[in-house]
Amino acid sequence: MEDNTVLSLDGLCVGYGKKQVVSDISFSIKAGETVCLIGPNGAGKSTILKTIAKMIPPVSGKAVLLGRDIRHIKETELARNVSCMFPQVPDTLYLTCSDIVENGRYPYTGMFGRLSGSDRDKVNESMEATGVTELAGRYFHTLSDGQKQRVMFARAICQEPKLLLLDEPASFLDIRYKLELLELIRKFSKERGTAVLFSMHEITLAGRTSDRMIAIKNGKVDSMGRPEDMLDPGHIEELYDLKKGSLKDGMLNGIF
Amino acid sequence: MNRRFIISFAGLFALLVILALLNLSMGSVRVEPGTILGIITGSEADPVSTGIIKEIRIPRLIGALILGGALSVSGFLLQTFFHNPLAGPFVLGISSGAKLAVALAMTFSLSAGFLLNSWVMIGAAFLGAMTVMLFILAVSGVAKSSAVLIICGIMAGYFCSALTELAVTFADDQNIVNLHSWSQGSFSGISRANTGVIVPAVLICMVFVFIISKPMGAYQLGEAYARSSGVSITGLKIALIILSGLLSAVVAAFAGPVSFVGIAVPQLMKGIFKTEKPVFMIPASFLGGAVFCLFCDLLARLVFAPVELSISVVTSIFGAPVVIWVMLGRKRAKEGMDNGR
Repeated sequence: MEDNTVLSLDGLCVGYGKKQVVSDISFSIKAGETVCLIGPNGAGKSTILKTIAKMIPPVSGKAVLLGRDIRHIKETELARNVSCMFPQVPDTLYLTCSDIVENGRYPYTGMFGRLSGSDRDKVNESMEATGVTELAGRYFHTLSDGQKQRVMFARAICQEPKLLLLDEPASFLDIRYKLELLELIRKFSKERGTAVLFSMHEITLAGRTSDRMIAIKNGKVDSMGRPEDMLDPGHIEELYDLKKGSLKDGMLNGIF
Repeated sequence: MNRRFIISFAGLFALLVILALLNLSMGSVRVEPGTILGIITGSEADPVSTGIIKEIRIPRLIGALILGGALSVSGFLLQTFFHNPLAGPFVLGISSGAKLAVALAMTFSLSAGFLLNSWVMIGAAFLGAMTVMLFILAVSGVAKSSAVLIICGIMAGYFCSALTELAVTFADDQNIVNLHSWSQGSFSGISRANTGVIVPAVLICMVFVFIISKPMGAYQLGEAYARSSGVSITGLKIALIILSGLLSAVVAAFAGPVSFVGIAVPQLMKGIFKTEKPVFMIPASFLGGAVFCLFCDLLARLVFAPVELSISVVTSIFGAPVVIWVMLGRKRAKEGMDNGR
């Protein structure tokens, strides 16, 4: 195992209670690497992300973060290394964008959550990096969906993660904002050396912004590899149970 | 702290002082502010007004102030817990559950010929509150709809109130008057000895409420985000339930059911302070609840003097329109007409 491995999964089985959703998952992610999980709806992509985020316990096997089994990492310490984005954005009324981004400092602040000068610098820096500085004083609920996702991304990076877990991070956005957000994520990952694991429906879009893709199907890892190999029409047809020949080269972009 | 917060806190505090003075001074016997000061500092010796102020009005003032604050904070905790602006101890039937338990404990002890200690009353109220709370939690686990939650809460409230009426009806004659005014909600029965229990009980709860203000803030973004920023969700949820239950139990034990404070005041404070952050909302809700209850208690005592209104009559008259107004305002704000600070 190389030094710069951030996350490695070793025969991990994920699921709810005794019910296995995806079994025997083994792969690792290095610093600065962007990896995308793809696969049909209900394949268990979210379940994998939730297990790594320690929101649900693994059924068996283990997930190792920076050399330590996540089961032995306390909540606050985990939050200093892993941050998440979910498809749903918070439903708030009187919280401003900076209130939301400040929440990313949660694992670093003291008892009453008071921000120190350096916490505040981190908040400003994150908002600048995602281009939401001018929205700081606006109420979160008044933003467009694209702006909301960028604010949530600012919150996520404000947590200074070594690993970013993104579950359908751009699900409600139109194509332009999706691309924008994905580019932002990739740029951040390369600049800071953050490992990124995300799930996404739009496979061609995902392919353009990831280093590696992992396909989940029928309760196991179906295949993994570089985007150009994974997005081969024959492979996609098989993965999504499409009729043979329904996808021709070049049509892929139009469909997904 | 921006200017809005400073001005709002200062305004609420000024209102609190003015209302406190009015509450002490006005009533069937008028006591001038100068005399009140004299009584408090010990330089005034008139036994009648001293008795009225020290034994009746000050305990009642402290009761309305502390219990009003407690009720409002309890509402804020429940709204945070359920992610529902309409949640509150009265609407969810928690107050009525506490009331029923206290009524049963009281009628039982009265018929057995002894008086209950204040702490035992709080304990009984807490048991009643928790019983209804468990029912509500079971409902919210089965039905995810917030409308169903509120309706079940209201039904649980009616059910407990009906049983309370039954208990009061079968109580010993001479105790009915006392029990009756309490079961309708009133700050009138609060004695000096009671305040010695109310103040420490509520203050201890408030210390713990402040301690959980940070995770509460993260929880407002939703359970998933809270967990991902390091909040221990189970611990927070248990703390929210126990603290909101304790606060409403103290209120129910000494003042009976007081409606609308738990919903209306925190909503009003959100609108005034323009924030939902618990660090500000907890003190704001407490102060707002205190001001609201002092105001309502003053009216309850004076409007039809010498007949006293039950406190819920007044809190409903002012609280119910506030809830409707706030909900409509909330809808407008959600539609994006309320842009920024």
